[in-house]
Amino acid sequence: MRQRRIKTVQSQPQEPAIASPISSAYLHIPFCRRRCFYCDFPIAVVGERRDRTPSQSIPPYLAALTQEIEITAARSTPQPLATVFFGGGTPSLLTPEQLDQLLTALDHAFGLAVGVEIAMEIDPGTFTFGQLHGYRSAGVNRFSLGVQAFQDELLQTCGRSHSVAEIYDAVAMIRRAQIDNFSLDLISGLPHQTREQWQDSLEAAIAIAPAHLSCYDLVLEPVTPFGKRYSPGETPLPDDDLTADLYRIAQAHLTAAGYDHYEISNYARPGFACRHNRTYWENRPYYALGMGAASYTDGIRFSRPRTRQAYYDWLAAGATIPDEPETDCDRLLETLMLGLRLREGVRCDRFTPSEQAQIRTTLAPYAAQGWVTLGDDAIALTDPDGFLFSNTILASLFAQFDPDSAHR
Amino acid sequence: MTHVPTSHIRNFSIIAHIDHGKSTLADRLLQATGTVEQRKMKEQFLDSMDLERERGITIKLQAARMNYTAKDGQEYVLNLIDTPGHVDFSYEVSRSLIACEGALLVVDASQGVEAQTLANVYLALESDLEIIPVLNKIDLPGAEPERVLEEVEEVVGLDCSGAIMASAKQGIGIDEILESIVHLVPPPSDTVDKPLRALIFDSYYDPYRGVIIYFRVMDGTVKQGDRIHLMASGKQYDIDELGVLSPTQIPVEDLHAGEVGYISAAIKAVADARVGDTITLASEPAAEPLPGYAEAKSMVFCGLFPIDSDQYEDLREALERLRLNDAALAYEPETSSAMGFGFRCGFLGLLHMEIVQERLEREYNLDLITTAPSVVYRVTTIKGEVLEIENPSHLPPPQAREKIEEPYIHLEVITPEEYVGTLMDLCQTRRGEFKNMRYFTSKRTTLIYEVPLAEIVTDFFDQLKSRSRGYASMEYHVIGYRTNHLVRLDVMVNGDLVDSLAMIVHRDKAYGVGRSLVEKLKELIPRHQFKIPIQAAIGSKVIASEHIPALRKDVLAKCYGGDISRKKKLLQKQAKGKKRMKSIGTVDVPQEAFMAVLRIDNN
Repeated sequence: MRQRRIKTVQSQPQEPAIASPISSAYLHIPFCRRRCFYCDFPIAVVGERRDRTPSQSIPPYLAALTQEIEITAARSTPQPLATVFFGGGTPSLLTPEQLDQLLTALDHAFGLAVGVEIAMEIDPGTFTFGQLHGYRSAGVNRFSLGVQAFQDELLQTCGRSHSVAEIYDAVAMIRRAQIDNFSLDLISGLPHQTREQWQDSLEAAIAIAPAHLSCYDLVLEPVTPFGKRYSPGETPLPDDDLTADLYRIAQAHLTAAGYDHYEISNYARPGFACRHNRTYWENRPYYALGMGAASYTDGIRFSRPRTRQAYYDWLAAGATIPDEPETDCDRLLETLMLGLRLREGVRCDRFTPSEQAQIRTTLAPYAAQGWVTLGDDAIALTDPDGFLFSNTILASLFAQFDPDSAHR
Repeated sequence: MTHVPTSHIRNFSIIAHIDHGKSTLADRLLQATGTVEQRKMKEQFLDSMDLERERGITIKLQAARMNYTAKDGQEYVLNLIDTPGHVDFSYEVSRSLIACEGALLVVDASQGVEAQTLANVYLALESDLEIIPVLNKIDLPGAEPERVLEEVEEVVGLDCSGAIMASAKQGIGIDEILESIVHLVPPPSDTVDKPLRALIFDSYYDPYRGVIIYFRVMDGTVKQGDRIHLMASGKQYDIDELGVLSPTQIPVEDLHAGEVGYISAAIKAVADARVGDTITLASEPAAEPLPGYAEAKSMVFCGLFPIDSDQYEDLREALERLRLNDAALAYEPETSSAMGFGFRCGFLGLLHMEIVQERLEREYNLDLITTAPSVVYRVTTIKGEVLEIENPSHLPPPQAREKIEEPYIHLEVITPEEYVGTLMDLCQTRRGEFKNMRYFTSKRTTLIYEVPLAEIVTDFFDQLKSRSRGYASMEYHVIGYRTNHLVRLDVMVNGDLVDSLAMIVHRDKAYGVGRSLVEKLKELIPRHQFKIPIQAAIGSKVIASEHIPALRKDVLAKCYGGDISRKKKLLQKQAKGKKRMKSIGTVDVPQEAFMAVLRIDNN
């Protein structure tokens, strides 16, 4: 299978960019065994299926997804993809064959560039060694394991469908498959979570020594069980003082362990930052395919329907993306909002001199406070103080530039 | 327009509680008399301000002239003079009632008499108007015409044997109403030969023509081109245009005693042609003006400050423009150490205040901070001077004061019986003195209290409505000043005295109010990167304190697989919120905090 891809790449050598070449694709695999209590993503629950029987609802979805791949390629000037990301949901509920079919479809439609990053999210307890091996053979070269916590009681609190033992089983399989480029996801700020538990989770993660780690601070989404049950900062949720500490603890532990805090919520060993996600943070265009997926193509941001039927209907009706390009102001604010997530920040040459001057004036008080660095080449938030107050800083930029938040 | 003999003119108004169907009835009358063609009819024709349509209340008056051929075959001119439906505008109501000889008393057949209606009926009776009771909405399932009629007879003391059963919505009873107006409302007295005296019952500012005066000719005749003299303002103008309202303006050559019309005369501001003023001829002036003219007296005051100090000049201009059309709006520059430059504004009442604020924000695009409403306190200093203090932060220190007096009102509440207990409790906690309680018909009660006005201008009305599930209604008028033991409560945020949060309270309530206020402020002021103490103090003595802990983080960490729209919305909201805040020292205080006193648990 790998051979096939190399051939394709050879037939389509990388070439210099046209207007805005799109070289990243996100594919949404919405299936999950159950919905975690904090999650409001567009997903489709297929039940526990401990016997690993495949869900009958998956093939029609993959057919639709394949159709969207073809439609999308047919109306653009396809460039070989440099990054592909299978996100979910739980992509590891797909069989390796199913995943391979999707990659084949992408390959036919767009081509895959030399050294393409093909990433997928996998969840403990949802895959076998055989599956993992199969994904790898199909071309997946980066795995992101949804661990969230190393305490069974916290996993239960979150409504996760796996145990700590299954995390270690998953890690053992990853090792056995000789996969180096893998990431672990952790969540801080969970209900009842203590400082000690967070430290233990970080230690456990460091001991596993993944190439990459994502540490997310829990966000309460209104429609979720968590959102309905809890209010931010109130018991049993840790208060802001504690969650701020958890953030600082992660930053201190992980950087001490040799991880680079390259993005507000992400840590990597040198060379292992997620290239696909960088596309978002650098505010470059990307395809997104599948229900609920949000794409950024031709200057237009578009979110697909969030339920399967609505998504199928949208596809059947021609998969139209409304022609509502963003304004310059949207683009400017998004470049800032996304770029300031990166520790290196945003390059100044992305702004006009007058925009740059306004940004500098707006951020000057924060620079004085030590939250922002205003370099000649780049503007960046400091770690951890600037990152911890990134919303405050961004809101001031929005107040400065955004007509929707202005009073006139 | 042909000249109509005085005997064939009927001038009437409609008295009704909000929602009892006055506007719909007026619309029906316009339709039935063919004054407004069916196709031009928009809902509630007379309520022409957007705000009025939205809230379903009448703020500005309107008038309409209708031609009606009665069953006796004669041609009559019916002038409907609309009245505003709110307590804040009772002076305007009284002037429009005086311009009439009769009134339709419209009562909802399922609701019964409300306090506001009662107050206006008394005003009408004082002006010797013929009152025709109309029960509206009789088609509704909940209608209880007998009970409500009994109530009207008992409460108002009106003979209801001839009451008309109507449904303005269904068009029931409209002919009967028109016939009753012709037969029951007396014609105006024929005083065409006397010198001109015309009563201004409304005026509004038209940006192209200047002020348009609505008036009723009481005596004499006014002609196109006449030079008029306004007896209260002392100003003289040449009439550019004279006409009637049908309800659109139609020019005429002259108007005689008994008729209603409008004048345009290049008048620059409504303050030059105030409601209640008398129009006479410059060449042949009347000896005496019509009685009853009164200057507008502001009862409620608040500070208005632009959030962005660059908008100060815009605010001044907006107030000037509003004042062109609103003679009751008073304002003067105010400087606050906390808020910077703004204006102290005086209003007839709370609704008036709300309307002005809303118009400033809506029509003039201003972002404003409004301080909590206050009343005028009368302070006697130890030197014997009497000062009128409308801004709590200007109250002289205790050692310089002999006494403080505050305005009191006579409050009348009409409520279904089951809410009497909770409403008495409300009045009591607002320092009300119980005066009387009257039961009328079955199940409804009037409560009469004397209450300090300051206690009413906060959230009293909201409380009244929520405690009675919307069933109670109220009416008040000011009865004078009384001495009380009042103190000034100061508020400090992060050690800075915030003068615009200062308030005058009764000593016995100061501790409780101070505590609730600091707690409320703690809720309303967002966390900052530093700890913020909030204190309430009387003089130098801190009576309550709280602190807002420092903000430790403000970050949204998750990136939703490239879906950035939510994060963006959140930041937009946060940015917008920031723009609605006023910086007090280093603390950003949201607009609501300045109204916090309205939202504290005062009970």
